[in-house]
Amino acid sequence: MKAPDFSYFEAQNIEDAIKYKSEDDEAVILAGGQSLLPALNMRLSSPSCLIDISKINNLNEIKIEGDFINIGALATHSDVMNNDLVHEKLPCLVDILKMVAHAAIRNKGTHGGSIAYGDPAAELPAFAVAMNAEIVLSGLSGQRIVNAKDFYLGLFETDLKSDEILIAIRYPLLDVNQHLIFDEVCRRHGDYAMAGLMAKVELDQSKINNLDLVYFATGDKPNVGQNTAKLVIDDGYDYEKLKKSLASEIDFAGDLNSSSEMKLHLATILINKILNKLER
Amino acid sequence: MSAKNSVNISFSVNGENFDDVTVPTRQHLADYLRSQGLTGTHLGCEQGACGACTIEMDGVAVRSCLVLASQANGSSITTVEGFDDEVMQKVKNNFLKHNAFQCGFCSPGMLMTTKEIISSKKKLSRDEIRSEISGNYCRCTGYQSIVDAIEETINEIN
Repeated sequence: MKAPDFSYFEAQNIEDAIKYKSEDDEAVILAGGQSLLPALNMRLSSPSCLIDISKINNLNEIKIEGDFINIGALATHSDVMNNDLVHEKLPCLVDILKMVAHAAIRNKGTHGGSIAYGDPAAELPAFAVAMNAEIVLSGLSGQRIVNAKDFYLGLFETDLKSDEILIAIRYPLLDVNQHLIFDEVCRRHGDYAMAGLMAKVELDQSKINNLDLVYFATGDKPNVGQNTAKLVIDDGYDYEKLKKSLASEIDFAGDLNSSSEMKLHLATILINKILNKLER
Repeated sequence: MSAKNSVNISFSVNGENFDDVTVPTRQHLADYLRSQGLTGTHLGCEQGACGACTIEMDGVAVRSCLVLASQANGSSITTVEGFDDEVMQKVKNNFLKHNAFQCGFCSPGMLMTTKEIISSKKKLSRDEIRSEISGNYCRCTGYQSIVDAIEETINEIN
C-alpha cells in the first residue's frame, strides 16, 4: 500500500525540530525511517506531519565520555557496526546489529530511531535496558536523561514528551567481569525474533554474581525477568521452575509467528542457551 | 518554518540532474523513479522485506520503498539502469550463464545488492554470499543459481 497523506518539514537544527514538534501533537520525527515508513505504507500510522531530522549535523557522532560510550541518535546501524570505538569498547553491539534486518536497511536505519520507536520485538530497546543505558532527550526546557529501564512504558509507548527529541544514547562501559550475552530465535536471519534475550552477567571467577535478563519480542515492551534471574543465580537452569517463574512475572503476548505459550517456552530455553554461551 | 504536502527537491539519478522537481511528500522514492520511466526498480512488498526496490543512494544500498522522495534532496542515486559499467557486464554475463534471471522480478534488487557486495572487494564464501543476499526474496527460489553467479563474479574480479 501507499502511505497516507502528511506534510513534511525538513529541520535544519534541533531547536527548529523541537519547536515544530511542540506545536503539533500529531507530528512524528523521521530519522532513517526504516520502521516508520513500513508502518506508514501499511497505514498503521497516520501522522499529520513528518519532521525530518536526518539532515541535522553532528547528531551521528560516536564518542567516549567518561565511563560511557555515547552514540548519537542519527548514527546508522552500519555506522555503529563499522566504528572502531564500538568494536573496541562494546563489541557485543556489533554482533547484535548483525541480527537487525539486512544491510540495505542497516545503511539507513538509525540507532536513536530504533530506541525511540520502542518496537517490543526490536533488539536495541532490550539491549539499552539490559545495559542500563542513559537516554538523552532534548526539549523546550533543555536536556534531560532518562534511564532506559524507565523509558519504555508500554506498546510503542515511551517517556518522550511531545516537545522532546531523542538525541543520544549513553552506554556505561562494561567492566572486565561484566558480559552482555544475547541470543534469539527467528524464522529467517534478519527477521524479527520470535523471542530474544539480552543477559547482562557479572562474574566472580566463574560464578554468576549478578544477572539481568531482558527479553524482546515477548510482550508489550522490553520485559525484565528479575525474579527469574535470581533463581538462575541460586539454582542454575531448571526448565520447569524457570518457566513457571517467567510466566508469573512477564505477560507474554503471542503474535502471528508464535503463541504466548510458544514464547514462554522459547524464553525459558533461551536462558539455557545463554548459560551455555557463558561456559564457552 | 512551515510544513507542506509537496516539496521541491534536486538530486541526480544515474548522472542526470533532476533540478527543483515537485514531489508529493507521501511519495516514496521508488514510485517517483518509476513515474519518471525508470521502471527497472521493482516494487514487491513496499515494507522493506523483499529487496526488489534496492537502489544505491550516496554510495550505499538502500530500499527505495523506505525512503521518501523528499528525503532524496541533495543526494546522488544509482538505479539498476545506471549500473552499466564493465563490472555490470561481468555480473550480467554470469547471471545469464547460471540462469540466475528467472522471472526477473527480483533481479534489479539482486543486481544492486550484488553491486554492493562486490564493491567491498572481499572474497566471500557461499555462506557469506547467502547472508549478504538474505534481504532479497526470489520467489522462483532460484537462490542456488544467484549465489553461483555472484560467486563466479567475485572470483573473476579479485
